[in-house]
Parts: sequence; C-alpha cells; structure tokens
Amino acid sequence: MTMQFKIYKEPELRDPYMVTGLPGIGYVAKLSVDYLIKELKAELFEELYSSSFPPYVLIKKDGTVELLKNEFYYWKDIKSKNDLIIFAGNTQAISSEGQYEISNEVLNRAEKFKVRKLFATAAYVTGRYLEKPRVYGAATEPELVEELKKYDVLPMDAGSISGTNGLLFGLAKLRGIQSICLLSETPGYMTPSGRVLADVKAAQALLEVLSKMLDIKIDMKPLEQEAKMAEDFVQKMEELERRWVEEMRKSVSPPPKDIYL
Amino acid sequence: MSWIKYIEKPVVKEPIAIVGSPGLRSVGKIVVDYLIEELKPRLVAELYSKHFPILYQTRPSYVSHPDYPGQAGTLLKGGKLELPKVEFHLLTYPELLITKGYHANFNGQYEVAHKILDFYQEFGVKRMIVIAGYGREGKDVCCAATDLELIKELKKYDIDIGYEGPFYGFSGLVFGLGMLREIKGICLFGKTQPSLEDPEYPDPKAAKAVLEILSRMLNLTIDLSKLEKE
Repeated sequence: MTMQFKIYKEPELRDPYMVTGLPGIGYVAKLSVDYLIKELKAELFEELYSSSFPPYVLIKKDGTVELLKNEFYYWKDIKSKNDLIIFAGNTQAISSEGQYEISNEVLNRAEKFKVRKLFATAAYVTGRYLEKPRVYGAATEPELVEELKKYDVLPMDAGSISGTNGLLFGLAKLRGIQSICLLSETPGYMTPSGRVLADVKAAQALLEVLSKMLDIKIDMKPLEQEAKMAEDFVQKMEELERRWVEEMRKSVSPPPKDIYL
Repeated sequence: MSWIKYIEKPVVKEPIAIVGSPGLRSVGKIVVDYLIEELKPRLVAELYSKHFPILYQTRPSYVSHPDYPGQAGTLLKGGKLELPKVEFHLLTYPELLITKGYHANFNGQYEVAHKILDFYQEFGVKRMIVIAGYGREGKDVCCAATDLELIKELKKYDIDIGYEGPFYGFSGLVFGLGMLREIKGICLFGKTQPSLEDPEYPDPKAAKAVLEILSRMLNLTIDLSKLEKE
C-alpha cells in the first residue's frame, strides 16, 4: 500500500482536540465533521492519498477531476482554550490493512500536535426509524465515561464500531491518547429505491453533543437547510458506489476461445 | 510489482502523452490503436505488472474488485508469445508519447498508474490527453480537465464539459493522479451507447468523433476513412 501526502501548511496549535469522521453508515460521521468544517471555516492543512482507496477518480460538475482523499483541517479561535484538528474525507480505505495504516497516520499527527483528546464520530445502527436520535458514547477511560453522562450521552456497553471511524478510537487507546467515540442513532437501512439514507438528523444530534463537549458555539439552523443539499450529494455518491458494486458483482466472463490455461 | 522494459532511450523535449485503454465501448483503445497504426510512432518502452490479468473475473475489465484478481498468464497472438502490458510509442513530430493502456486488477491499479507517471516524468511529460467513452446524452465529444483554465482553452475547439461521475480504471487514475505530479491533463470523452452484453464492444464511430477533434488540436493529418468502413 502506498500513501502520499500534500502538506499545505504546518500550523502551530494550542492544546488541540481532534475530531474524526469519514463516510460510513448513514454518512453520519461525514455529515457531522463536514458541517463543523464549514461552520467554523476550518482551514485545510494536509491531504492524504492512498492506494487502498477505491480505484477511481471523480469528474465534478464543473468538469474538473477530483481524487479520492482524506483531509486534515485546523481551527483556531482566541475565545477557545483549545484549537481543533478535524480529520475528514470523501472516502475511506477499503481494506483492513489500509484502514489500519491510515488510522496510524492520523494518530501520528495526533501525537505530533500533542492532541489532548480525540473525538471519533460514528453511527449507531438501530434498524428502525427514529423521531429523535439519541447519542451513545464510549471512552478510553472510566472517568471519561462518567463525563459523558453530563451531556446525556448513553453509555455503549457492548457492540462494534467498524471501519476507520472505529479503528481510530481503538488505536488511540493503544497509544495512550484519551479518546471518546460518539455514535448517533440512525436506522442504517436503504430506502425502497435502494438509496442509503443520509441521516442529517443523526448528524445534528451528534453535533449538539459534540459542540457542548468542545465548548464551541456553532449555528445549527443552516443544518436543516443543508439537509436537502447533503441528501442530493449523498444520492450522487451512493449512485456511484451502487454502480461500482453492481459492475463488480456481474458474473465472471467466459474465457475467450483462443486462451488456454 | 510493476516494471518498465526500455526498448530505446530517446532524447525528448516535452512530449504530450496520449492515453487510452480498453474502457467503455473501447473508445480510448480504438483511438490509440488507430494513432499507432496511422502515425507509425516507435515503440520505446513497455510496462509489465504482476497485477495484469490475461483473464478478468470482473466485467467490464476496468471495474475491479479486491476478491477477484483475475488470472495471470501468457497470451499467444499469431503464434507469438505475449505478456499483458502497457505500450509507450513515441512520435517525433509533433512530440507525442502514445500510451496504450491495460487495466490492472484491484491491487495494482494505483501502483500501475504511479509507475506510468514516474515514466512520464522521466520523459519530461507536462501535459496529457486522455481518451475515453461516456454513455450519457450530450454532444458527440465532451471534456474534463485537471483545471478550469484548460476547460476554457478547450472552448476554442468547440468542446465543453458534459460528463459528471466516476472515471474508472487505468485512464481515470493516470489522469487524476497526474495532478499530484503537476502533470496537467484534459480528457476527451466520445459519446457512445453502453452495451450491457459486452461493455467493451468497439464503437468506431465514437472513436472517429474524438479523432477528428484530436487531429485538429494537434495538427495531425490522419486518414479516418478506415474507421468509417468499420
């Protein structure tokens, strides 16, 4: 597996927290961190490219080409005691090997910037529709689990958190980085048309808790308006993924007659 | 593992790479094959890879899957032995590095694209033109590029954008990853009708439409009549 990095800036950060979220179930993590980046006007400082991402590029609406990538943003504010690093992206590694390697790269940066606490975002699959999604949490230390209760976060005692979003949380513990994983409830099913639900409501519930824990103010009003746009984007991404998976599933082609094995 | 076999090491200035592979309705492949046949460039190098199957388990070949790496092996063509490969043909005037692509399996797609770009940098390539097909409503030929300036430039040739979506396989990754090496690129998509039974079934008409524009852009004199007969 090869990785490439494009460094735009090397920021100096004060006691930063780190928030991570890549596209996963219901796009809950992606929607949450993307909204945070937009509202805080966080600045991109590094991009990561990996051969374990799906092997295609995207042609955007304006005709320019975009690679699949993961990104690091930072945010500084004089009113806030802690700066912020946000890890986001338009994809995540497919293989477990790739997910481990990328998670380790993220945590290398967490160590380099002396991250005080890492907040991993993820989805909590319920399998049913929810009027008001609740937020579950898990942490690397018992004191942090206690702290979660102050924010009405329900402790998650058992279960699994798959993919890079989950691995970042687990690997952080191995490195002794204090970490909290926030999981927002989402149905986690596809709509009848076969479309994965982009769960903006779940992202909103998660962000309400996260912003309180980070002690930052973000305007939640535009989130509802963004719901539609996000859904359109996700529809498009989902269509791409669906087509890709569909193509992959097609049967093995018969060997041409002039080839002998 | 992917490696280059050099046939000759010519002195070059700054060739433009032309890239095509057996994608949708083989538009890219036909264009590149036709250029090689008509312009008679010299074969200067070949790229081999352990990730090149002779038999793909996915269909079309450009859509890969981690669980289906395909079957490696040797091909026999007209009694001659051949391994699957990418070919680099050099035309002296105008200076073009015509690249006949080949799709790697899932594990090799990024590796092969990076190896191609290493080779391009060795040859001083700063620009590339990628040829592929697109299966949507629209003009006969539409474009994409690595930056908006290039899209503006293409309007001179009456070509506009018209495709939005994924670009799979060899050509897509070479095109996109070129951006990380500061190799600028444009892509010309020839409009074609996707075929469910045989996604790579050749569409010479779509290839001809792209070749007409390419000839104008590069001031090439190519007789396209043979394509008309196909």
